[in-house]
Amino acid sequence: MAEKSKKYVCPYCGEEFDAAEGLKGHVFKTHKGHGLPVSEGGIKLTVNKSEYTLKVKPNWTLYYLIHDVLGLTGSKQFCDRGACGSCAMIVDGKPVLSCMMLAAECDGKVIETVEGIAADGHPLIESYVINHAMQCGYCTPGFVVTSKALLDGNSDPTEEEIIEALAGNICRCGTYPQHIIAIKETAAKLRVEKSAGKGAK
Amino acid sequence: MKEFKHFNAYSVDEAVSLLKRYGDRACLIAGGTDILGKMKDAILPTYPEALVNLKTIPGLSSISKSNGALKIGALTTLSEIAHSDLVRAHAPALAQAACRTASPHIRNMGTIGGNICQDIRCWYYRNQNNRFSCLRKKGGRCYAIKGDNRYHSIFGGSVSGGCFAVHPSDTAPALVALDAKIVTSSRTIDAENFFEVKPIRTTVLAPDEIVTEIQVPTPAGTAKSAFLKFALRQSIDFPIVNCAAMITFKDDKVDAARICLNAVHVIPYRAVQAEKAIIGQKINEALAEEAGKAAVSGAKPLEHNKYMVAVAKTMVKRAVLTCAGR
Repeated sequence: MAEKSKKYVCPYCGEEFDAAEGLKGHVFKTHKGHGLPVSEGGIKLTVNKSEYTLKVKPNWTLYYLIHDVLGLTGSKQFCDRGACGSCAMIVDGKPVLSCMMLAAECDGKVIETVEGIAADGHPLIESYVINHAMQCGYCTPGFVVTSKALLDGNSDPTEEEIIEALAGNICRCGTYPQHIIAIKETAAKLRVEKSAGKGAK
Repeated sequence: MKEFKHFNAYSVDEAVSLLKRYGDRACLIAGGTDILGKMKDAILPTYPEALVNLKTIPGLSSISKSNGALKIGALTTLSEIAHSDLVRAHAPALAQAACRTASPHIRNMGTIGGNICQDIRCWYYRNQNNRFSCLRKKGGRCYAIKGDNRYHSIFGGSVSGGCFAVHPSDTAPALVALDAKIVTSSRTIDAENFFEVKPIRTTVLAPDEIVTEIQVPTPAGTAKSAFLKFALRQSIDFPIVNCAAMITFKDDKVDAARICLNAVHVIPYRAVQAEKAIIGQKINEALAEEAGKAAVSGAKPLEHNKYMVAVAKTMVKRAVLTCAGR
C-alpha cells in the first residue's frame, strides 16, 4: 500500500518521491547539468552503418538485441559466459563479446557484425571459403569478426600476432591453422588493393 | 537473466547514492564480464534488484604519470593497460599481468577496477542456482575441504570463515608487488590491505564504496618488476598460480624486494619469507631456488592441491630470476 503513494519517480536515477516538490528539488540538486533525461531503456546505436533508435529491457544482452530482436543471425551464441568468442562483434572498433554486454549500455555505440563485413565485400570472407577455415562453421562468424578487427589495425600481422588476436576464439573442430593462412592471404590482398588505389589516384 | 533495474551513473557521487539507497540489493557493473556470468548462473541466494552502470561516469579511464606515480582510472580496460607505453615502461609487471588476463575480447571489456574486485571462481561457490550454500554465501560449510580442492588454497582457509577459495585476479599480485594504492570514493587503501574474505565480497570495500583510481608508484632507479602466470591454457584461463615481483638493486645486490603470489590463498599472498631470503644478496640460480623454497615454507596443502606448492615455488624462483635479468 505504501508503495502506491510514492509516484514521483526521478527520470535520471529512479529515486522515488512522495511529492512533486521533493522530486523537483532532487533533480535540481543532483542532476543539474546532466542534460535531458532519456526515456527508460531508450538507446541509439549504429549497426552495420544503419542507425537504430530502440527501446531495450535492462536484462537484454547486446547479443539478444542483434540476433533475436534485429534479426541479424550471423553471430552465434555458444557458451553465453564470455568464454568462447563465437558471439564476437566489433563495438567502437574493438572486438568484444556481445553475450557479456548489456544492450542498455550500448547507447551511441557503433557496432559491426559479420553481416556488415560480408556486405562490404571484405576479402576475408572469400579467403575463409577458399582456405576452408571451417568445418561445422558455428564458430566462424566470431573468427571472421575478430580477424577483421585485427586487419583494421594491422595491415601485415605476423603469425604470432594472429594467434594472439584469435586467442579468445574457440573452434571445437580444430581449424586453427587455416585461419592463419586465410588472414595472411587477406592481408596481402588488402595491401595490394591499397597500393593499387593509391596508384590510381 | 531475470529482470532488474538498470541505472547509468553519471558521477561517482551518483553511483554512491544509488548504492546507499539499494544497499546489498544493487550491484555495480563496469566491464560486466564477471557480474553478468554470476547473474546468468544465479549462483547467489539473492538476485540483484538493480545494476548501477559505471561506464557512463566520465574521466575514470585514463592513464597518466604525475608526482612519481602512475594514475590509472578504475574504468581503464585491461587491453589499454597492457598496451600503454607508460605502464610498460614504469610498471612492466602490471602490463604483463593485464596482458595475460582472460582473452583479447575480455581484455577489451574488463576494467582494472573490476579485475581487483572480481568474485572468487571456486566451483562450489559458482555452481548454478546456488546449489552449494557455502560459507561465502553465509551458508554452512566449505565444500572444498572434503571435496575436489585441486585449485584451492595451499596456505589455509580464511581466519574468520574457513573458506578455501583462492583469489583469482592476475593484476592483484602485480599491484601488491608494485606497492600500489587503491583510491576509492571515500579513502585510499594500500593494495596489500585491500583484499579481505567476507560473504559475497573479496575486498575491504564498504557496500557503498567504489574504486575510482589505482596509483602505482614509479620509483626512480633500479627497480625491476616481473609477472609470471601458470595456467592450464595460454588463453581464456584463470591462474593456477601466478607471481609478481619487484626487486630494487644496489651495486648488483638486492636492496628491497616485494614478491606476491596469487591463486594460492584466499587473498593475494605476499611471500615475506622469500623477500627476506634474497635481501642483501646477489641473485643467482641457487639463491632464487632458496627464495622459492622460503615462499612455500608455510604451505599447508589440501588433499588434491599438493602440486600447487611445487608450482608456487618455481613461480617465485622464475620471477626472482626474471627481475635479475636471467
